[in-house]
Parts: sequence; structure tokens; C-alpha cells
Amino acid sequence: MSRKRVFWFLCLAGTPLAVALVAVLMFVGGDRRVLMVGAIGDAHHQIGMACESCHAAPIFASRATAIEAMNETCRNCHEDELRAAADSHDGKLFRGPRMAVYREKLDVRLCTSCHVEHRPELTRAGAVTVALDFCIACHSEGDQDVRQARPSHAGLDFASCASAGCHNFHDNRALYQDFLIAHAGRPWLAPDPVHKLSARYRSRQIAGVVLAPGDAVAPAAALADAAALDHWAASGHAAAGVNCAGCHAPDAAPDAALAEIEALWVTAPESGVCAGCHRPQMESFARGRHGMRWHPQLAAPRDPNRRLEAIGLGGVVPQSVAAWLADSPLPAHMTAAEARLPMHADGGLLDCGTCHLPHAVDTGRAVVEACLTCHDDSHSRAYTGSVHHALWLAEQAGEAPPGSGVSCATCHMAKSERDGEIVTDHNQNDTLRPNEKAIRPVCLDCHGLGFALDALADGDLIARNFQGRPTVRVESISWALRHAAQAGR
Amino acid sequence: MKRSSLAALALTAAALAAPAASAGDLSYRQAADMLYLVMSSDRAVYARMVVQRLTRDEQVIATSEHFEDDSALPLPAQMFRFGADLVADRSEDFSYALLSLYPINSKNGPATEVEREGLEYVAANPGENFYGEEEFGGQHYFTAIYPDRAVAEACVSCHNGHKDSPRSDAKVGDVMGGVVIRIPMD
Repeated sequence: MSRKRVFWFLCLAGTPLAVALVAVLMFVGGDRRVLMVGAIGDAHHQIGMACESCHAAPIFASRATAIEAMNETCRNCHEDELRAAADSHDGKLFRGPRMAVYREKLDVRLCTSCHVEHRPELTRAGAVTVALDFCIACHSEGDQDVRQARPSHAGLDFASCASAGCHNFHDNRALYQDFLIAHAGRPWLAPDPVHKLSARYRSRQIAGVVLAPGDAVAPAAALADAAALDHWAASGHAAAGVNCAGCHAPDAAPDAALAEIEALWVTAPESGVCAGCHRPQMESFARGRHGMRWHPQLAAPRDPNRRLEAIGLGGVVPQSVAAWLADSPLPAHMTAAEARLPMHADGGLLDCGTCHLPHAVDTGRAVVEACLTCHDDSHSRAYTGSVHHALWLAEQAGEAPPGSGVSCATCHMAKSERDGEIVTDHNQNDTLRPNEKAIRPVCLDCHGLGFALDALADGDLIARNFQGRPTVRVESISWALRHAAQAGR
Repeated sequence: MKRSSLAALALTAAALAAPAASAGDLSYRQAADMLYLVMSSDRAVYARMVVQRLTRDEQVIATSEHFEDDSALPLPAQMFRFGADLVADRSEDFSYALLSLYPINSKNGPATEVEREGLEYVAANPGENFYGEEEFGGQHYFTAIYPDRAVAEACVSCHNGHKDSPRSDAKVGDVMGGVVIRIPMD
């Protein structure tokens, strides 16, 4: 056969095969990474192969339906935090006919107007893909021209609105004008710098029956692990009366005899067992980058049999082939090796026990040492030896009051109070997107607003883990004061 | 807007605000008037039974623009707008807004010629409403604008004293702005 004939034979035979392969990958099952049109951003890359988590519209849906379905999936995971943020550009504010003129410029009802995945060349912090001066779309003309309304803003570059520490698109709880005025003039450091909720949390008394090593009820082999027994006896679990079966035999009755506990014993419980008592922590863990793979709204792998039935091939394709076509499920855990931030090479996978040692349950370890086991960026490396670290060591040594120490978690895992209980947010990204979100729940207990704004806008200072003073000056407080003074009210 | 939607809208408004009527015979104007009756009545009830009673008569709580931070009651205008936002999120059968020629927040100023014309008309013609039609994105709308007056000293003192208010000489009884109701037309 001549080379020309071979070429045409391969073309004629290969093209249908390639089309069939793509069709199978798209509509039945299999690894679709070869079809991905662009890399997925840092926020979602770890769930990237659960395509239907974002692409939720039916096959062959219209473009409008597909976009609406995609935006619905954004809200599935992000709606709670937007609601908590009192979203300044809440989509429902832009519905209705009179907002059409603004929607034509930038349709803020759709998350995808500003956040587009698979476009790494456009993607900035916060998964933002719209141009840096996006505010110009609605705030540069007529009554909405901020340069006319505010003389202080005349001549400012629209690219600086959301990048200079003054405004955020969604969350302005620490940036709105009256808040700035109310907190103007505060010293950079409070006379008694203590994080109040941390202080209450660390000095709390755990109610319950305190258990001693001799109270442990477990199979003999487990009781033989003296170190584990000692760790448990010194833990919050023992202090709260949680015996071995609470985690190792969660299906056993509360007053179960040893025989029942032995029958139901699980040597290495999965993290899911923690959720039985720590549900708020587990839910927030699944909203952050550590635990995103546990988010309940993630799409399950496609069932090839159901897919084949949907296209009229149910029962036609052998089961062995259908099984071969099945999607690979997402890995159960995020791992340090998959992270896009600098990590130590020996960092492991992430579940509850990664930070909270299974028996010790030492939150002191979980809030500093565990973080630095994996994170190896300049900010993390600079923590050791920083002022915040020195304060943490002093508190741990009993030389400073509760709440005066600043651990990694103090800033990155903010505490809140719900129904009298102090809850730690296990979405460690929540105060980072953008970082002004940390001001109210964290910074202001110890620092003045002006200092906090300046420090959080100073990238070099952040990289040094706040060693030194800010060299960036955010003018928003002084401009707000000047505006109020000029209004004479 | 489809006739059936208008009928459903009118029935809803009628059920809340007026004796039963033949909904199919209602004009856009009648539907808008009934919607306004419900809105203005609810607004008056909140102002009188909640705000005035709790802040001035019993003095147990204050109102605040930043009611969450201040653990206070939302201002009557905020309460009204929250309802408008929720309706916009739930339905496209009608929309409404509280606007002013002197807005504290510029986004509550007139955005269209009809809004500006209507707000100027109700301010200049006490006791009268304004009715017009508009088009947005190829869709025609019936637009009704009703005067919104300062009914209490608290209204004018807040507006006159607010640093972002373009007006500081309002008096009780003045038309401060207008309620704009829009209904999509066939």
C-alpha cells in the first residue's frame, strides 16, 4: 500500500474513532482532562474532574440555560459567605428593568461575569478574571460618577478602587464609610491586646464527666497502647466524658457493654465520625481549600450505565466495558503535594486527624505546628520568631493572659459565637478572600482600623508575617472624615 | 406581560388590598394603584406600629442605617427596599423601587427619563400620581410613580443631617421622592 493510501486510510478510519472517543468521554464516562479547554484556577483545581459540579446544565442546553445553571452551582457553595458578607453587589439588587442599563455594562447577577474558570492567563487573586478597572463600567457616568460625587476621588485610576485597600466588590463590612469614621483615631495597638473570643474559648471549662485512663472501655489490644491512652486521658474528649467508643464504635449504644463495643470497633475511624459532634466545624472545613473535596454539593462520578441508557445503549454495551468507562472518583482527601502554594515535600493528606492528633486532640498543636508541617511560603516561615508567635509562646507558657497569643488559626480560622457556643471556622480561606474580611473578626480586637487597613494592603509586610510597620498608607479613613467635615453634618 | 400574569398579579393585589373585582378587566393602572396601596399601607404600619412605638413612645430601641452593627431597627426606607429586592428576586411580573431626586445613595436617584419626569411631576403636583410607559431591552413597561412624603420629623432630620444627602432643607410634608412601580406590558 502506498504511503498516500495509508494516509487516507488512517484519516478515514481515525476520524470516526476520534469522534467516537470524544463522544464517549463527554456523554458516557472516562477521564476528560484531555478535553479541558484551559487549566482550572487555584480555588477549584482540586475538584476539577467533578465537571458536573459546575457544568450542571443538561447536554445540548442553550447557552443561557448553561450559564444560569453554572451560576446556580456557584451559589450552591458560596451563597452562605456572600450572605454573611452583606454582599454590596448582591445579584437581586440588580434585577428588574431599571437595572438593565447597568446589566448591559456588567451583569453582576452572574458570577461568571467576573469569575471565569479555565482562563489561567486572566485569573487574578480571588479567581477574578474581569479587568482590574471593572468599576468603571457603572461608576464613571452621570449621577453614578464617583469622581463627581467625591472630590477626593477625582483623578484616581479605576484600577485602584478594589486593589488599594479601600473597596471590595462583595464584602465591605469593614470598609464602609460610617465604620471608617467610627473607628478613626484608634491607636495602632489596643492597651490590652486580647482577642476576646479566643480568650473565652481558651479559658472555658468543659462541662461533663471527666474520665481517667482507668475509665477507658475498649478492646484489650487498644488498651495496650499506653501512649494513646495517656493522650486521650489528657484530651478534651476525656474531659467531656467521651469514651473510646464515641469515635471507635460510634454505632454502639451509649451504655453498650464491652462485647458490643468490640463487635462494632473501628480501629482507624474516618473523619466523618467527627461530624457527629463537630458538625459546624466539618461544614466549614468543606467550604475551604483543605476540605473542599468533602463538600456535599460536589457532583458524584457519572454512572456509565445510566448514561448509556440515556442515549439508547442501555444493555447493549457489555458490563465490563461500561465499568471500564466509569469516571474515577475524586480522591478522598486534598494533599499537600497537590497544593499550588509552596509546601514542605513531606506534607501529607488533609483530614481531621492531620491537624488534630487522633488521641491528643491538642488544639495548641492544631493551630500552629500542624500548619507549619505543610505550609512553606514566606509568610508561614516568617511566623516563627514573629511578634505574634512570641505572644503565642508567652500565652502557652502561662506568662500572658488567654487570648493574647496569636496563632495561625487566630487570624485564618476566625471564631464566632452561635447560641452561646464559640465556634472556630474551619474554612481557613474565609478571612483571606479578600484579606479585609479578617479585620472585624480578628484584627480589631487588638489593632486600630487604620493600622489594620495599612498592614493588610502591604504585601511585603504580610510576607514578613507583620514584622515591622506598614509602609503602605490607605487613605480611606482620612477621606471619609474629610467628606463628613465638608458636609458639615 | 401576559394577560394571565396580569390577572394573577391583580388577583394577588386585590386579595390583599381591595374587594374582589373582575381581575381580567383591570388595567395596568388599576393593578399598579392596588399594589401601591398594599405597599404604602405596610410601610405606614411599620413606621407607626414598630418604629414610632418602639423608638419614640416606648424608647426601647433605636433605628439605624447600620442596623445590624448597631443592633437597631432598619429604617422605614430600608425596610421598603428589602421588600422590593425580595420581590425582584422572586418575580418578574412587577417591580418597584423607592427613588428620589435627592437620594442619599446615588443609586436611588432617577435612572431613566420617565423616572426623572415622574419624580418631578409628583413633587410639583401635590396629590397627583404619574403614569407612563417605558421600554427596556425590547420589553414595554407600564410605569407608575407615587409621591413619597416626609410624614414625621424623624424623616426630615435624618435626611437633612446625613452627610451624603444632597438636600438639607426638607420639611415635614415635603415630597421626598416617589415609589416607582413597573409592570411589563403585552
